[in-house]
Amino acid sequence: MKIKIELFGVSREFSKNNLIEFEINNNSTIKDIRIKMIDYLDQNFNGNENFKKIINSSAFCSQNNNIVSDNYKITKNEKIAIIPPIGGG
Amino acid sequence: MLHAKIIDIKEKKLSIKKAENFISSSNYGASIFFTGTVRNQNYNKSVIGITYDSHDTLVTKSFQEIYNEADQKLNIKDKSVYIEHAKGYLNLGEISIIIAVACKHRDQAYLLSRYIIEEIKKRSPIWKKEHYENSESTWLKGNPIINERN
Repeated sequence: MKIKIELFGVSREFSKNNLIEFEINNNSTIKDIRIKMIDYLDQNFNGNENFKKIINSSAFCSQNNNIVSDNYKITKNEKIAIIPPIGGG
Repeated sequence: MLHAKIIDIKEKKLSIKKAENFISSSNYGASIFFTGTVRNQNYNKSVIGITYDSHDTLVTKSFQEIYNEADQKLNIKDKSVYIEHAKGYLNLGEISIIIAVACKHRDQAYLLSRYIIEEIKKRSPIWKKEHYENSESTWLKGNPIINERN
């Protein structure tokens, strides 16, 4: 199934389109998304270590706007947001 | 009473007057207006502006949660709070955030204003990209949001 990862903050550097689309297996979780995104960075940014650190220190937000754990199961066509470390004000 | 909003700076600017109109009431004897503005220096770099990015829904949700928590954590039930945060590109000196609070007494107002800004810094998904005189720009390092891995 296809899912979209909406990019925010520093993760916007990962794509000019402000989102990345992945093909994932049914019953995939946020943990699988982290692995997919690191693969994506390996392929598109020569494994940029700073970008990989961002993936590992980010939270993820479900389509119904909750911060979800790594065990959260993604539903078909769900739009997930990556939430890198924050700092407004 | 709470007003909580993200403002796209391309559409309008943040207004202290609007904040004042919202919190103004003869029920309250103390008001505090906090504004955050774009500063010209950070880590010895000359800053010319900041782009703010926001997950709007999560941010307004976090403002609501912070407001509600003040009831229990600070025991301030009777209050009026106005929070707006900008998103988009801001020049030096422009206002990025307004937190206006009105309470019955000054000790409550000072406490509440400080509590809100510190919690926003910790919990609200907002990001800053600084722009410098040498045409470079960089996303500032932030704090990881609470993230249960298990």
